[in-house]
Amino acid sequence: MNAVDGVEALLFVADSPSTAESLALALELTVGQVEQAIEVLTKRMKSKGPLHVVQLAGGYQLATKPEYGQVISNFLKPARQRLSRSLMEVLAIVAYKQPLTIAEIDAIRGVQSDYSIKALLERRLLQEVGRKQTPGRPVLYGTSQQFLHQFKLNDLSQLPDLEVAEPESSLLSLPAEAESHLDE
Amino acid sequence: MAPRHELADRKERISALGVISPPPIHVQSPNFDGSLATLFTFVRDHKVDLLGVPLFPICEAYFAYLIQSELKDLDEAAAALSALAYLLERKAWLLLPVPDPEPEYEESMELPEPTSHEYQSAIRALQLWHEERSNLFFRSPDAGPDLYELPYTLANVNPADLARAFERILRKAKPETADHIKPRKSLQEQMKAVLEAIGDDWTSLENLIVQPYTRSDAVYWFLALLELIRLGQVVARVIEENVEFCLAASPTGRLALSHPVPNQERGD
Repeated sequence: MNAVDGVEALLFVADSPSTAESLALALELTVGQVEQAIEVLTKRMKSKGPLHVVQLAGGYQLATKPEYGQVISNFLKPARQRLSRSLMEVLAIVAYKQPLTIAEIDAIRGVQSDYSIKALLERRLLQEVGRKQTPGRPVLYGTSQQFLHQFKLNDLSQLPDLEVAEPESSLLSLPAEAESHLDE
Repeated sequence: MAPRHELADRKERISALGVISPPPIHVQSPNFDGSLATLFTFVRDHKVDLLGVPLFPICEAYFAYLIQSELKDLDEAAAALSALAYLLERKAWLLLPVPDPEPEYEESMELPEPTSHEYQSAIRALQLWHEERSNLFFRSPDAGPDLYELPYTLANVNPADLARAFERILRKAKPETADHIKPRKSLQEQMKAVLEAIGDDWTSLENLIVQPYTRSDAVYWFLALLELIRLGQVVARVIEENVEFCLAASPTGRLALSHPVPNQERGD
């Protein structure tokens, strides 16, 4: 069996990101061979067809190409989940400072964040990651795999650097895919 | 110290606290002018600031008193010494450094300046990525390998043919009597019996059912037959010459009898 076709078959049936290790285990290949196959498959799918390989949340997954987004939206009519400014602010703070408590988020924002935390937990973008060893043992929050998936991130290292970011400057340290998309 | 009976003779010199009044040593300072006994009382009642009263001259006066009196009255000398000791202790405590007062509660709880503005660029990046991500569609997590039924074909059979066939076998059924009541059996058992009766050749339904049979037998038979057709183990057709409802085992049939049959509990 062709390794590239095997990888494509597995990614087709997978409903969540698959790591190279899990693909290698199923195909009885080495991780290096699987990564090579993914590279070939990525190039092949980029040139033709409506699907492409996306690397996100620590794995690989097949997705429709962005140019088909509108027609798919017309077909599926998905419920748009827009995140408000406050939710996005809490999410950004947790993404950079995790793990942290609600009190620490409140201190950074200067306002209460209970509702935002609850809403983000319901959307599975945040998760409880433990308890702080201080009086009261408050809950510590961190981002989830769903967060990486929803924001097309492979891991947290792809977040822009806060120290070099300026309020009015253009986006920094965007992933290569995002930059190429911006160029388009 | 004088015996109790001598103290009783000197009641006029016993103070309210039950001690012998100190001798009339005079104290003169910017803050106080009077006897040692009065100073003692005023200090005890916090009416005089002891820090403004130098104690060294009082001690010198006490020594002078001791020399002059030649210790004629030890109780009086002891009372003066007690009063002096008290004053010295109080003044020593007053001279100790006082710790800074604790800050007000409200001042210490001042909230830090919000620093969320540092995340503006990150928020913009997240919004952009979220927008981009909304144009990508993935296989739904709900689209897993759930069991689903293969579509089955009824060839030229329609629901009316099924109803007619059922009506025919009911018509030929014997009425229920007490003698004919049989123990209940599951639909799965009935399906096995039906499948064993049906061969590979097309046979009419009426010929398949073993005579005689009751209406209950007919109902069970027909229900089992419908379930076997639904599972694709039996195929049905209507022979157009005599409009006869015929059945045959499916080429892929006779496979699932050893496996649990879905929905079998409906017949229990």
